[in-house]
Order: sequence, then structure tokens, then C-alpha cells
Amino acid sequence: MKRLLGITLTGLFFTWALGAAGYLPPPQQFMLENGLTVLLHQDNELPLVSFRLLVPGAGTVSEKADGLADLTAQLLMKGTASRTANQIAEELDRLGVTLRCGAQEEFTEMSGSSLSENFARMLALAADCLLAPAFAPGEFAKERQRRIDAIRQVQDEPAQAVRQYFRKAYFGRHPLGSLKAGTEPTLSKMTVEEVRAFYKLALRPEKAVLAVCGKIDAKELKRLLASTLGRWPRPLAPSVEASMPALPAVAGRTCVLIDKPDASQAYFMLGVPGLPFGDAASPQAEVMNTLFGGRFTSWLNSELRIKRGLTYGARSGLQSWRPGGIFTVSSYTKNDKIGEMLAITFELLAKGRKDGFSDLEVESARNYILGQFPPSLESLNSKTRAYADLFFYGLGFQYYDELMARVAKAPAAEINQIARALFPERNYVLVVVGKADDIRKQLEPFGPFQEKKIVAGDF
Amino acid sequence: MKRSLSIAALWILLAAGALSAAEFRRENISARRLDNGLKILLYEDHDIPNIAYYTFFRVGSRNERPGLTGVSHFIEHMMFNGSAAYGPGEFDRIMEFNGGANNAYTSDDMTAYTDWFPKAALEKMMRMEADRMRGLLFDPEVLEAERGVIASERRLGVENDNDSLLDETVRATAIMAHPYHWGVIGWMSDILSWQRDEIRAYFRTYYAPNNAVLVVAGDFETAAIMELIKKHYGDIPAATAPPAVLTVEPPQIGTRRVQLRKPAQIPSFQAVYHVPAVSHADFPALSLLETILLRGESSRLYRRLVSDAQLAISVSGGISQTLDPFLFYIQVKPRPGADLELLEKTISEELAKVQESGVTGIEMEKAVNSARTGFYAPLQTIAGKANMLGFTELVFGGFENLFTMVDRFAAVTPAQVQEACRMYLNDDNKTVGTLVPAGGAR
Repeated sequence: MKRLLGITLTGLFFTWALGAAGYLPPPQQFMLENGLTVLLHQDNELPLVSFRLLVPGAGTVSEKADGLADLTAQLLMKGTASRTANQIAEELDRLGVTLRCGAQEEFTEMSGSSLSENFARMLALAADCLLAPAFAPGEFAKERQRRIDAIRQVQDEPAQAVRQYFRKAYFGRHPLGSLKAGTEPTLSKMTVEEVRAFYKLALRPEKAVLAVCGKIDAKELKRLLASTLGRWPRPLAPSVEASMPALPAVAGRTCVLIDKPDASQAYFMLGVPGLPFGDAASPQAEVMNTLFGGRFTSWLNSELRIKRGLTYGARSGLQSWRPGGIFTVSSYTKNDKIGEMLAITFELLAKGRKDGFSDLEVESARNYILGQFPPSLESLNSKTRAYADLFFYGLGFQYYDELMARVAKAPAAEINQIARALFPERNYVLVVVGKADDIRKQLEPFGPFQEKKIVAGDF
Repeated sequence: MKRSLSIAALWILLAAGALSAAEFRRENISARRLDNGLKILLYEDHDIPNIAYYTFFRVGSRNERPGLTGVSHFIEHMMFNGSAAYGPGEFDRIMEFNGGANNAYTSDDMTAYTDWFPKAALEKMMRMEADRMRGLLFDPEVLEAERGVIASERRLGVENDNDSLLDETVRATAIMAHPYHWGVIGWMSDILSWQRDEIRAYFRTYYAPNNAVLVVAGDFETAAIMELIKKHYGDIPAATAPPAVLTVEPPQIGTRRVQLRKPAQIPSFQAVYHVPAVSHADFPALSLLETILLRGESSRLYRRLVSDAQLAISVSGGISQTLDPFLFYIQVKPRPGADLELLEKTISEELAKVQESGVTGIEMEKAVNSARTGFYAPLQTIAGKANMLGFTELVFGGFENLFTMVDRFAAVTPAQVQEACRMYLNDDNKTVGTLVPAGGAR
């Protein structure tokens, strides 16, 4: 105790030092005629350039069936009007660049990284994929089948499968319940026409943002964009981006047991409502999560791993979207210990609601968040992510300075208030994947469980 | 999760390329050695007010013996559970209180401790690192709890992961004599029975300054940090040099096969071939061959198995950067119900094409370019720089080699790649492993 108190002054010192610096340099910002916003941060340290393009309204919450948005994004790279899928792969590999397309919940994103000497060619290729995709039926069929197969692979691995089952159990028919990778029933019915229609409707420039970081100046970037993403046509039809409905309320206990007869460990995921992205209480929630299950010495990891050796890892996390978020807790242990593990987890949540965290704990978490923040924005990719996210969520480029300043000042009373608000007692969603015969009885105290068998390809 | 069994951490050095524009150059790295043998590599980088503090020990699963398999990785965990001046758990508590975070990884060849913290915390962190190099408590109760953590890690990473389970079996089939026979995590029965005295003796043998390399990158002044290092590490005594690993794997003379049957929806497939260590002249050619066969959607095996024949969901593998001769992996995730014999035959056909007709200039360009680009990615962070320096120092026989590695890659000729494929990726040198679904969900 004495030793820790002695360190306090140092903590205050570096808190101040970082707060003064400004975490994210303000980018140069301009808009192309088609409405695409461009954010540029020039950084000449290494001969590299990274970019990230974010297209709002083209995420999984906008799709009609699980897997449509991400499949559409992936197919952008599987052939264009002038290049076959093989030619695209060949060109990318030859340049030694990485280019990725995929869908998140609220947007589709395309990102890439290259040596600066190859950036022009990478951008040209990326624009060709985005502007003139072929969506050839053959490539569609291949990629769809590959995805159906990959879903079964996920089901073979309980650590991965539990997250998918949780998503379905928590969100049900809410758009956030849509699984990015799809399911076998939705993918097997999907047609290439649906992919084309989704592309036409959702992938459009007027609300999109492109963040570029690295060794390139504004003049050169504008020149390159004129012949590439500048030619992305703004559709005449108005954008139909619908706002996401409010997240489902969690009333009572929704508990699901997925039987995996060969599993030697049981995996659980527990969830309750969290906070929208950029919510006023985010700083306090970050501190709370850090203390409960967000770092190695967290309550959860201390009790489940460090003290009892029940597991290799136990964590909690906050996931946030525009209209809301979730707070989750997860871990795993051998079959005969899952009841004990869940009992301890719920005891810790009760303790958090009742006693809360001490001033010293809160100070430690604040120092931890502040100390670990600068490296999180060190690489070009992390900067492009930050610029694009802050633009999309409309938070401003000083957001992280404000966030960290508020973390630095958050008192224990505020942290404990958010813990009382979020930590579940009687209302929660709990999903367990494991060998049902060995764990069924242990789960009884935590709710009436609906028991399910693994159905190949579906969740 | 932290303290992971991370053979994967070695990807960072997968490739190396031209070092020209950056200030991260040979002449900007300070290399020192204390009288007790501790090697120190320092790189000042003032972009962010943080420090990456990496300690590497020359010990990994290759130094173990039957009965003690997995103990290198176990000591990696125990390094956080109490030393002379810091009780169990204090290392992490103090680290995090001061804004720092850490992790560690163990491979077949080495163990690395990786700290990231704000510069103001430097001396506190250094004091703790030096203390745990000096000695550990091995508190019996804590030791038992940590044994449970490792058992859970093994259940997570091997027993409930079909590819890893197959990997463990294939490795043990291909490698009979050398300690690479077992994986870094070790066998479950050893995990459950290591004795405290054995663990302590192992620690004393390998955790000494003369068997360690300290790498620091970030916001510090070289002269000042050297004074601190002398102050905190200077009095740690050197130990007798650890015994050399003398076992040499005998040549393989004929294909070996092994099969697992367990509940699964998807089978697993691996073919592995004995290949030389990083120090061997053929290593760069085999690295380029890896890219040509397995990296990217234009690679030969991806195109043939995934795109064209549609026998597989994905392909992966390649050569590992190891101190002793290890294996070249061709790992395939087959489609459900795929004909594994046809899969193996198709791979053989692709290898035969390289062996008979060689590789193209475009493929060589692609492989060297991929290496060059891959080289810069870790240089964006102080953590990446520290890791590259330490890894190269331990595995490539000196950090200086980092700065010439691009030349080794660029100097390879297409004929050398073809010859390496002929010499190593042949049937007599091959071990094939399959995991065949038995029961499971339908």
C-alpha cells in the first residue's frame, strides 16, 4: 500500500505532460466534387502511405440478409470491368501491398498500405475495384461457397463460436444481430443480383470519408484522386441510409446453452446494454471497464486467472455504435469449473454495484489509460482509423484530447455511478458453449437455459 | 491475451528489405555490453513520450527435456508472480499504476518480455525488470494457480483447436530426436507434474545476464539510460553458460503419415518438410519460395487449391526462423468433405511444376517486394523496432544482420529457388498429417 501511494506524484506528472501535447495532429481536409471528404496527415518518417475509406450506410445493419454487406465488399476485389480476380491479386501481390475490403456494422471500409512509390498504383487499383466491380457470377458462387465452409470452421472452435451465438441471442432480429460472415441459410439463398443491388444502393461517395496518412503531400494526393476516387459518380437516387433503431432492451434473463459434446472447456459470454459511441459518460466507462476486466490486473482477471488459475484469460469490453452499445464479460474454463467461474463473476459484479472501486484503483486505471494511449495512435494505420472514425461519428479531431482530459479527472464517484448503471443483476443475456452433459447442472443458478445443438452453418 | 504462446510473434521478421530513408539505421543503434555479459541495444526515438523495453533470454522449448516440456513458457508466466523485492502480482500492479502495460512470449528458441510505458516510469520499470532477472520467488501456492492457467491455455490453444492439435501431432511425427519434437506449451502430463525444484534449477541456468539481451527503443537519452542500466543490472552475477543443444535430427528417409479422428465439421491437412536453420545459405531461397507458394491470393497454392480446384478454404504455412533446422509447412484448411488424397496429389503437382520448370521473374519480384514492404510495417512503432532488433540479435546471430537482410533476399536467383524446392520439398522428406471428422454436428 505504501509503495503504491508513493508513486502517485509520478502519475500526475505524466498525465499533465501528455495532456498538453495533443494526440492527433489536425488533418488537412477537403471535399471532392462528388461529396467524398478527404483527410490527409503527411508524415515523412518512413516511405509508406496508408489509407482508409469508410462508406456509411453500407454496413451490416443496412443489409437485408446476414452476410450480404461483407460479401459485397469482398467481391469488389474479385474482378472489375477491366481486370479479372486473378489479375487484381497478381497486381496487389506484385506491388507488395495490402488492400482489404469489409463491412462493419455501420459502414463498409476499404483500407490499404503500401510503399509510397507504389501508392499511386494501389489507389488506382482500389478505385477500379470500388467504381467498376464486375460481380461475375462465377466469382460470386466461389466466394459464397468459401464463406459457407468457413462458418463451419468457426463452429468447430468454441472460442470463436460463442461470440456468434451471443450476437444472435442478444440482438435477435435487431439489425445488429446480423452476422457479418453470414450463415449457411442466408448465404445459400443469396443471389448475385442482391449483391449488385446492395452495391448500387449503399456504396456511394457523398457521405464517405477517405483518410490518408504517410509520405505524400496534398498536391500529389489531389492529383491522384482526380483520376481515381474523384470519378466515383454520385448517384442520382437519394441516399436511403436509415437510422438504426434503438438497441433492444434487456428484460429478465435470456440464457442459451450451446451443446458441443467434444469440448473440454466451457466458454461464456455475458452482456448488458452499454453506451453509444462518443457518449458523455465514455471516459468514466473506459475507466470502469479497465478496472473490471480491461487489463491484466482487473478484478475479473485477478480473481479468475491470477488467484485461482481457472482460466488463461478473462475480460470485459465495451462495444459502441451510434444509437447505443453493449458491455460484455467473457471467459472460459474446464467443464467442471464453469459454475464456480460464473458464480465468482456475478459476485464481482455485485461487489462493483455495492462497494465500487477505490480512489487508488481509479487513479491506477486513469494512469494506465493515459500511459497506453500514445502508442495506440503511433502507426499510420491507427491514425487513418482514428481520423475516419472521428469524422464518421462527428466527434471532431480534438476528441481524444478531450476524452483523455476527462479520463484524467474522472473521480471514483463517477466511475462507480457508471458501474452501478451497467453491471447486471437480474437482467442479462448469457450464452455458454460447452459439453452440455457436464455443465448443465452447474448452470442452473444463473437462469433457465434454452439448450441448443450446433446446427451446421447456422447460429 | 497476454503472455501468449506466441510463435506468431516471429512473423515480424518474416521479411526484411532495403533500409534507406528511415533514421532507423545501423549507425543509430547503440550496442553495449556490461561486465556480467548483459548485451544492450538502444535506439532513441522521440516521436511519442513512451518507451518500449524488451528483454530477451536465450531459452525456449529447444532447451527442455522430457518431463520438463513447456517449462520455458511456464517460467515466462512465473516471471510476473514475484521476485526478491516485489511480491506476487506487484510487477503488474506497479506497471499498470504507472501507465505501463506488458506482455511476454515464448518460442522454441527464446523468451521475450515486452514492456510499454510512459518515459517518466523508466527507472521504476527497470528496477522491477532487473529484480526479476536476479531471482524469482516461486511461491508454492502461486505456482499451483499458475499451473492451472497454463493447463487452461493448453486446452484453449491446442485441445479445443483442431489445427493446433494436428500441428502438435505432425511436429512430433516429423521431428523424432531434436527437442523441437514438442510444442512450446508442452505435454499436459508434464504441465501437471513439473516440480518446483526442477523449475528453479531451470530458471537459474537460463535467466542470467550473460544469457540475455536488453533492447530499449523510445523517448530516452542514451548516456542517461546507460547509467541507469549499470546501476540496476551491474551487480547481477553472470552464470555458467547453459549447455548447448547438441541433438541433431537424423535425415528423414521416406514419407511419414499420421491421422487424427475427432468430432469436427471440417477436416485439417498439413504437409511438412525438414528445412535448414536461418543461418543456412538456402534459407533466403526457401523464404522466397514460401511467398511464391503460399502468400497472397496470387500464390501458386492459393490459386490452385482455393480459387481453381476449390478444394480448400485457405492455405498457409512456410518456413520458420529458427536456430536449429525445423520444418517448412504447407497447411490447408480443406472444404468440408474434400478428398484429402486429391488435395495432397494436387499439392505435389504444384511442387513438381516449380521443381521442373522453376519460378518466373514476376514471382521473384513479388517475393522480394513483399519482403521489402513487410519490413517497414513494424518500423512504424517503437515496439516493432525493439522487437526486430532483439529477434535479429538472438536468432540471426547479431542485430547488424537486420540491416543487410534485404541484400540476402534480393540476391537469390530463380534457379536457387527451384533447387531449394527440389532439395527440400520432396516426398522422402515429407510428413503428412490429417484430421478427419468423426461424428460431430451435421
